[in-house]
Amino acid sequence: MQEYSSQAAYDRGEAVCVIGAGASGLIAVKNLRENGFEVDCYERDTVLGGLWNPQNQHSPLYPNTHLVTSRSQTEIPDFPMPDDWPDYPSATQMLEYLTSYAKHFGLSEHIWYGSEISHLEPVEGARFEVVVKPAAGAAARRLRYGAVIIATGHHWAPNLPSYPGLDEFRGTVMHSSQLKDPSRLRGKHVLVVGGGNSGVDIACEAAVNAASCVHSVRRGAWHLPKYLGGEPSDYALARLASRPKFLRRFLADRILKGPKLLAERMGIETPGHGPGSEEPVRNGRYLEHVGDGSIKRRGEVARFDGYDVAFADGTEIRPDLVVLATGYQPKIACVAPELLGGTPDQPAPQLFARMFSPKAQTLAVAGLVEPGVGVLPIVHWQTHAIARWLQVRKSDPERAESFKLQVNAESSHNAAGAADDSPRRRLVVDAEEYLASLGRIIDTLEQEPAK
Amino acid sequence: MSLTAWIRRARTPEPVPVRREIAVFEPADLFDIEIKDNPETNPVLCCTSDAAGAAAFNALWLKRIASSGRYAAAVSVRGQGGTPAAVGGAEARAHDVVQAAVTVPRQTVLIGHREGAAWAALAAGRYPAAGLVLVSPQRFPKQLPKPVGEPPVLLVVSESETQSKEVQAVADEYGITPLTFAGAPDDVFKGAAAEGLLDAILSWLDAQQR
Ligand SMILES: Cc1cc2nc3c(=O)[nH]c(=O)nc-3n(C[C@H](O)[C@H](O)[C@H](O)COP(=O)(O)OP(=O)(O)OC[C@H]3O[C@@H](n4cnc5c(N)ncnc54)[C@H](O)[C@@H]3O)c2cc1C
Repeated sequence: MQEYSSQAAYDRGEAVCVIGAGASGLIAVKNLRENGFEVDCYERDTVLGGLWNPQNQHSPLYPNTHLVTSRSQTEIPDFPMPDDWPDYPSATQMLEYLTSYAKHFGLSEHIWYGSEISHLEPVEGARFEVVVKPAAGAAARRLRYGAVIIATGHHWAPNLPSYPGLDEFRGTVMHSSQLKDPSRLRGKHVLVVGGGNSGVDIACEAAVNAASCVHSVRRGAWHLPKYLGGEPSDYALARLASRPKFLRRFLADRILKGPKLLAERMGIETPGHGPGSEEPVRNGRYLEHVGDGSIKRRGEVARFDGYDVAFADGTEIRPDLVVLATGYQPKIACVAPELLGGTPDQPAPQLFARMFSPKAQTLAVAGLVEPGVGVLPIVHWQTHAIARWLQVRKSDPERAESFKLQVNAESSHNAAGAADDSPRRRLVVDAEEYLASLGRIIDTLEQEPAK
Repeated sequence: MSLTAWIRRARTPEPVPVRREIAVFEPADLFDIEIKDNPETNPVLCCTSDAAGAAAFNALWLKRIASSGRYAAAVSVRGQGGTPAAVGGAEARAHDVVQAAVTVPRQTVLIGHREGAAWAALAAGRYPAAGLVLVSPQRFPKQLPKPVGEPPVLLVVSESETQSKEVQAVADEYGITPLTFAGAPDDVFKGAAAEGLLDAILSWLDAQQR
């Protein structure tokens, strides 16, 4: 590419702009290229792999992050991980995998590093103009594309709860994403806040490294070990989904009975619905640490007071270090919320089929889901569908119409979690239903034209 | 690969992993300053049902392919050459081919010989091969997956096979016309016939690249 002045937008014709070179962005680039599109991918950091790359300035990795989904359920469908890797690869292996994917498909030559997209807007002809934020002093660049895929992830803006007295607290407080070095836990009295996978993993780290560990959790959750019935849990549960309906419930109850009883023994309520409809906690060690007293569970924090923390049940502790494993706020800052279906008082995206902009035909988002199973395969099929759609809307107006009707219909029934207020929980999808819906969308886009 | 096919596979037990023998010949291994690894070309990965496995390609194929500037590799699937035997039929062997393909540094062409052609075709249903070359295919699966990413496909058979039903079926499946080579289908690893066959494959590969 050549130099661009800050005034005139450089026209990239029908090329597609992908924003972000994390897993989702890489998969998007590969699938678009495979479908014949020219692609420019912009990454604000200087490395690929997104949150799996500890060199990424804002990486949310915490000490000893391992996958909570197993290898066969996590790998990209057309590029398997090496089969001599463990069932649950480490964050380091995940990065190695994404790097070899990028190398194998020659993706790097399409990625522009150190290039943050600060803004994008629709221009005439269903096209988009994007603004690349200038790096250190240079002028901003503007480019026009035939389509834009946003793959910026949703683990970058820490969700920080506000408690009375938190600002004046005399101990150390940090978000889970800031806990890079496990030695910071050593010898400390640690309070971990948050009962999701990160909170539970960090509590386990503290259980073995810290002087003491209290874990504050607001509500019950499914606690699954990493293995069920001799198989990785997610694989075992996914297999059940392929069984006839009448058997499924029975078999699920049977393999989940043990984990449920154990959680109850530790005073943890399991939500009435199965572990499929909400991200389960997947950590085999946690309940054992609760059982041997190295993790003490408490309810919600009520307030901070000088050196002390008081819980809703009236008890108090005096921690040296508080780790807020309170998750992230999904934020897409580079685009007006309305373009993604948000409204002024409800800015969160409301996409068609969780990926297509309801306002612009050539704008889509990849990876903005919490499926409770491996994310990469879902993104693979999402970007496959997006690439096909971008082809079809040009070449086959008739099929484009039936696709639009279909996508509308699909959007109404995967609104799981929409009633809930928390922005993260609004991203939750039932993987089984969502995959089926993606399958129908792809079928509509790919079926042989009627002769 | 269709989404349904992937779901089915992701919910089926994975074949037992084996330590696979992979033979590699890179253009640099030729010690010929005239020949350079051309990053514009796709690597090539070969497999055959010959019991020697990867070693069968050592005599002639790998060197010849590397001379054309391509990274050349061959894999022994379970039970062949230096790869230990393990349970599993054609699907497990296709798994071996895919596992070998992802270790190749760039998107690779798959070449399969005899039953190896069937494994390569199955592998191309899961992995977006840069090209698929079927040499005298045998025991081809009835249910053939559509190749991922629509790679170009070449079918090469010996003159004696052109009329065979099996070859016809494979040609129809991909909608292509077979090329022929002089010689016996099981004797493709050395000699004049092998040279001719390789020439045909390499010039087809070059034509795809353009
Ligand atoms: C601690 C943790 C553990 C997890 N464990 C699992 C697991 O076990 N299994 C699983 O399947 N998933 C897991 N996930 C989910 C994870 O989100 C996905 O696996 C996947 O990595 C998401 O990739 P992504 O590309 O969508 O997002 P990211 O990896 O966040 O990548 C987004 C990229 O976009 C870039 N970017 C952002 N804004 C801009 C901009 N304006 N311009 C240019 N570039 C921009 C960022 O720098 C980043 O590189 C985990 C997540 C976390 C936080």
